[in-house]
Amino acid sequence: MTTTPALPVRTRRVKTSTVVLTAVAVIVGAGFVLPAIWILIGSFRPNAEILTTMSPLSWHLVIPSEVTFENYVHLLVDSGFARALLNSFIVCIASVAIGLAMSAMAAYALAVYQFPGRNLIFAVIVISFMVPFEAIAIPLAQQFTDWGLGNTMTGLILPGVANGLAIFNLRQYFLGIPQSYREAAMIDGASEPRILFSLYARLSGPALTNSALLIFLGQWTAFLWPLLIVSDQKLQLAPVALAGTFGEHAADYGQNFAGTIVLTLVPAVSMFVLQRFFGRLSIGSGEK
Amino acid sequence: MASSTVTSEPVVAKRRRAGRRPEAGRQRPGRRQELMWAAIFLSPAIVALVVLRVVPTVGAVVQSLYKAFPGGIIPATFHGLGNYESLFADPNFVSTIVRTLVFNAIINPFQIVLALLLAVLFTQKIPAVGVWRTLVFIPITVPIVGSSIAWGAALNPEGPVNALISALGGNPQPFLTSPDQALAGIIMLASWIGIGYWMLFLISGLQAIPEELYDAAKIDRAGPIRTFFSITIPMLKRPLLFVLVADTVANFVLFVPVQLLTQGGPQNSTTLLMFDAYRTTYGYGSRNLGAAEVVILTVIMIFFVLLQFRLLREERTPR
Repeated sequence: MTTTPALPVRTRRVKTSTVVLTAVAVIVGAGFVLPAIWILIGSFRPNAEILTTMSPLSWHLVIPSEVTFENYVHLLVDSGFARALLNSFIVCIASVAIGLAMSAMAAYALAVYQFPGRNLIFAVIVISFMVPFEAIAIPLAQQFTDWGLGNTMTGLILPGVANGLAIFNLRQYFLGIPQSYREAAMIDGASEPRILFSLYARLSGPALTNSALLIFLGQWTAFLWPLLIVSDQKLQLAPVALAGTFGEHAADYGQNFAGTIVLTLVPAVSMFVLQRFFGRLSIGSGEK
Repeated sequence: MASSTVTSEPVVAKRRRAGRRPEAGRQRPGRRQELMWAAIFLSPAIVALVVLRVVPTVGAVVQSLYKAFPGGIIPATFHGLGNYESLFADPNFVSTIVRTLVFNAIINPFQIVLALLLAVLFTQKIPAVGVWRTLVFIPITVPIVGSSIAWGAALNPEGPVNALISALGGNPQPFLTSPDQALAGIIMLASWIGIGYWMLFLISGLQAIPEELYDAAKIDRAGPIRTFFSITIPMLKRPLLFVLVADTVANFVLFVPVQLLTQGGPQNSTTLLMFDAYRTTYGYGSRNLGAAEVVILTVIMIFFVLLQFRLLREERTPR
């Protein structure tokens, strides 16, 4: 603690800059979160109050006069949203299951075996699945309708199972698993599928979680595809159903906001569940 | 070969090669079996690739070369590049292309500059920095249908954004109802989600920059601005380029807010290529013209995705 005359001045300068930076960080953070808070609070207040408190600016914008669940009740009981949520769940879970199996198999083949054209196949698969799906959704929807897949669960699920980043992630992870593990398993007489599903899959918890999330979120937030492929309301998925409630009753913001909160919370909860599930499967990697 | 062993994970690489060597002796029968398993494991992904990507792309290309007649009784006839010619002869379509390009030339730099500034801000040593950072992430979790509806309400001429502007002494704005401001409104709501999302990538890039470089800059008495341009930006080049390309890809197919809030209007001011392809195909029922638009969009996409893939590949090699 030797004090030089310059030191106190400098600490004070650092402190002012920290104060300014903190103030900016708080303001920016508040600015980003405020619309989300408005949605959250709006979902728990009477619908009419959302409209009356919009303008002029006052604290009532985010302070409700009463807390009510009527928006959620309307949404889940009276409209078809509950059914759409269930459809979305089925589509997401099926897509994750099929997509993970497919991606893991492809990633395993591309990580473990040496064969001519391996890198080319890898590049083609990843590049073509990285072209945003929306770009070719319209012609694909026409094909699917021609094949009789319009208004079917299969039609909703299939496009979501293929995810280039999922294959990319899993392959990167598999490349890090020592070959000696695989050789040991082969000496023990394990078949290739067994090595993949009981050895590699078990060692790859985090990569499987990431890939599952990618597939899940892709399907959960899908809007254009269900809009194109499904016309039957009974089969419709939650985002399109939510957009439908927006169009139907002009300015039923309470119900819209409640739907938005439900659509937001489900992936958050699912992420948590997935992480627990795959976290348990992972037994850690590393060769001693 | 020897030079390529200097990778970020030399130990793993060496081990893998060492592990493979004994296999070489008993190669013949095992090798054929390996090829068989590779084919079996790859086939679902390849079938998906063909059915979900190749078939629709080829289908769109073929359809874009035909011309159908209203009513569908007379079979479609081969039209060559006629659909493309009539698209580019249509001033509305040309302005859609120009608008889409201008939209991307604005929204991508806008989102990335702000994402970069915020990433730098949220990696400074300030109290409770994680909390403020999380607040910026929260919009990412809101699905775009929900955020479009909410921003539609917020940008209502009698909505809270105008209330805020009035409270600050400004004049209320028409936002989505004005041809001059609607696209800016779409940019705003897309950026509410996008900035936080791309910031995630840049923060992890910033955290990978060695602390010693900043210490060295401090010793050289470089100020914060000089440090930013001489150390942060060059060291962040790869994540920045990757984010720029990935953001561009995402914004070229931005669809939900346009479909939900403006339907391309007012006066076509928010008609972007993706929405136009949708409207031409389903709204106007011109499958062939719509297919030509899809092909144009896909060509642009493939260009950017190839660029992105190059950047992803480089990401794996050591700096």
